[in-house]
Amino acid sequence: MRGIKILERLLYTIPIMFGVAILVFLFMRMTPGDPVDIMMGEAGSIAPGEMEQLRKEFHLDQPLHVQLYLFLSDALHGNLGYSYAYKKPVADLIMEQLPATIELALGALLFGLIIAVPIGIWSAVKQYSIVDRVSMAGAFLGVSMPAFWLGILLILIFSVRLRWLPVTGRIDYNAGLQVVTGFYVLDSILTRNTVALVSSLKHLILPSVALGAGTAAMVARVLRSSMIEALRQDYVTLARAKGVRETWVVLKHALRNALIPTVTVVGIQVGVLLGGNMIVEQVFSWPGLGRLAVRAIFSRDFPLVQGVVMVYALTFVLANLVVDILYTYINPKITL
Amino acid sequence: MARARLKVIASVALLAMTLPLVAACGGAGPTPTPEKVIVKETVPVKETVVVQITPTPGPKRGGTLVVGLMSPVLSLDPADYRDRQTETVIRNMFDGLVTRTKDNQVVLEMAKSATLIDPKTWEFKLKEGMTFHNGDPVTAEDVKFTFDRIITEKAIEYPEPHTAARKGLIAPLESVEVVDPLTVRFHLKAPWPVFMQMLCHQQIIPKKYFESVGGTKGFIEKPVGAGPFKFVEGKLDDQIVLERYENYYGGADDLPPVGPAFADRVIFKIIPERSSRVAALQAGEVNIIQGVPSYVVPQLLSDPRLQVKTCAGTRPHFMEVNVKQKPFDDVRVRQALNYGINVDLILAKILSGYGVRLPGILSPFNNFADPNLKPYPFDVEKAKALLKEAGYEKGFSFVIDVSADAKELAEAIAGELRTNLGLDVSVRVWDWAVLRPKLLAGERQATVSSWGDSAFDPVGYLEAKVHTYVEGSTYGRGNYSQYSNPRVDELIKAGEIETDVAKRHEIYNEIQRIVWEEAPMVFLFVPQEIEAAAANVQNWGPSPDGRINLHDVWLSQ
Repeated sequence: MRGIKILERLLYTIPIMFGVAILVFLFMRMTPGDPVDIMMGEAGSIAPGEMEQLRKEFHLDQPLHVQLYLFLSDALHGNLGYSYAYKKPVADLIMEQLPATIELALGALLFGLIIAVPIGIWSAVKQYSIVDRVSMAGAFLGVSMPAFWLGILLILIFSVRLRWLPVTGRIDYNAGLQVVTGFYVLDSILTRNTVALVSSLKHLILPSVALGAGTAAMVARVLRSSMIEALRQDYVTLARAKGVRETWVVLKHALRNALIPTVTVVGIQVGVLLGGNMIVEQVFSWPGLGRLAVRAIFSRDFPLVQGVVMVYALTFVLANLVVDILYTYINPKITL
Repeated sequence: MARARLKVIASVALLAMTLPLVAACGGAGPTPTPEKVIVKETVPVKETVVVQITPTPGPKRGGTLVVGLMSPVLSLDPADYRDRQTETVIRNMFDGLVTRTKDNQVVLEMAKSATLIDPKTWEFKLKEGMTFHNGDPVTAEDVKFTFDRIITEKAIEYPEPHTAARKGLIAPLESVEVVDPLTVRFHLKAPWPVFMQMLCHQQIIPKKYFESVGGTKGFIEKPVGAGPFKFVEGKLDDQIVLERYENYYGGADDLPPVGPAFADRVIFKIIPERSSRVAALQAGEVNIIQGVPSYVVPQLLSDPRLQVKTCAGTRPHFMEVNVKQKPFDDVRVRQALNYGINVDLILAKILSGYGVRLPGILSPFNNFADPNLKPYPFDVEKAKALLKEAGYEKGFSFVIDVSADAKELAEAIAGELRTNLGLDVSVRVWDWAVLRPKLLAGERQATVSSWGDSAFDPVGYLEAKVHTYVEGSTYGRGNYSQYSNPRVDELIKAGEIETDVAKRHEIYNEIQRIVWEEAPMVFLFVPQEIEAAAANVQNWGPSPDGRINLHDVWLSQ
């Protein structure tokens, strides 16, 4: 039953993606700015007729509905067009950058959860204690600190001053990594390359912290308040009255019930981590999708923007689906 | 071959070369604190002078050079890109028939000789014994193949058939003819005075190899050229790794040292964020970075492990005002703006002095800059008198619309005009792609922007900035002041086809005088290119076209 429901939900994504594709297409063309003009830059040395020719090549001389038709019919055949700037198929470019973005998002999520879960539980249990106040102040800082600033700060401390961790990129060239999947940490393990594993983990730490700080703060706050809520429930009192050990009361009886709102927030955060990492990718020269998206938007590289936004949309839709599925496991009363 | 004679800023070259030298060689004694490098005048200098001050503790082979680039490399196909970063990487892998020295002289690279047979035909003889990275000899066929692929419509078949992006840089080329295995002729549609300058931007690819890997797709996955470094691996948005090509023919004879490169390996890393680029250099992760913001220069210079070098830039900056609108339709108002702004002060404050005043429309480094033209002096009284004469003694208000990167400069100008002339000036920031069409349509009052002059020739530059705007053409493509003068238009067109250098000087001097007098813009400055490197990087220096030539560079430790 659950399998059929999941399939059904997956089928829903098709019309959603279709709608997203049309919206991105229209929004990009409504935004002022001519891709060909931007491509030619503020410099001389362009030949007469060159710009018309480029417009023709990119089908920008066609009426809007013809362009939309071309785009949609190509997209249905799995062809997202080719990037004006890179002169490569959009799908290839996305596949090249996507593993880096996913790896960073997972790193950030891992960092976020490692920090947030113990803090969230601890501050709920010891409400209004010093620990609680300090960690909530920290969470407030984490939520409000811009990732850009935090990133630069981390670089200055851990790379420039202490020289412990690298500033840029995903791995040292000297590590000699054989790329298999594009996920460097995974690839290092698969190829049993310890040097590469150490190198890729070292490169992953600072960007993960910079990106994950916000998530950590957000999750910690939500977990704390839902834990406080849960600890006040009758079943917790009952459990304590039964003489269940306090640790067990907190982790089994209260935490499980506090997880529903937390999982919802984590689900949204996964989308944010995958789609909102432009700044961190920029600061740490992380060759991911976010950087590609920003560049594409500024240069009005229409096909590339369309492709990247569709990937982002798909990520959000899938993250929501996963959250909904997780609900059914945490609380069997919920069905899809 | 007629060597393009170009002017060079002696003081910059000398100062820039000596500063880091002192830092690098100074084992004993404190390192002198270098003063700001401000260029006041341009003096022709010979290449030998530069060679004398080049550090010569003996070049050393070995090591890995890591370069931090500002933006992604867009392609590894020498025919199909249009940006500088890509050119920087490509020209370390591929060589061309000719190249430029750091002081902008065109010199022979793969060509042994170049002869202008008639005004429309150039003949090149190739050096003997040159090979591509796969061992194949370089022949006239490869040259013809390279240029045919660039100039033929829809010749690039991947990912969809399209015309090479570099065709526009050599549009007047009609055909290339193989005379014998080492001789080629270039036939132009019409005489083209900047041919040699523009030829520097085209690199040769191997025909046989290209065909053997099945065309463009195979070629860009594993590019093969005849340059000093061969491709190892790389991702365009991440890093590109190259290794020394041992059988390199040596490069341009006029650019010593000649022979294989010194560094074993070169890695170009893409680091778009400038603070991160500087941090990566400070952390020792990269050896050379480009695009150093002027405000971090003092901090970098205080670190003995680092060196900073500058060179003439190629982007004149202006504040253009809309001459079709009041009050800027009055030439006296426009001149008043030029007199009323202390450009030297702005230069010192915003660029920490790393720039050169713009005397008129042309950069002082342009080959056709009129040496008699002097920048408007800073003269508040005269400015006020001109405003009074024009009937604006009570001042007026206007808005400067700019992109985010010109915000600081625009605010400084607004501040000057407020304090000195009592004008009510405000600044608004836009996404440039949104603002540009509005500027061209004459819907704004003023803007601060820059325009590239990397060919050091008025062609490609003047027609964009001061020719009447003709929609959809290259004329007036950057004319944000709505300036239009039939005489200037006529002269620009005449300069495009004139091949006699003396006559071209006459034409361009007249344009410069007219534009100076009519002042459709406030002439600001040309910022210098600033690059930084670790102290052990030897024989390195930025070049005005932003290119980083790593063939000659070595690491001393």
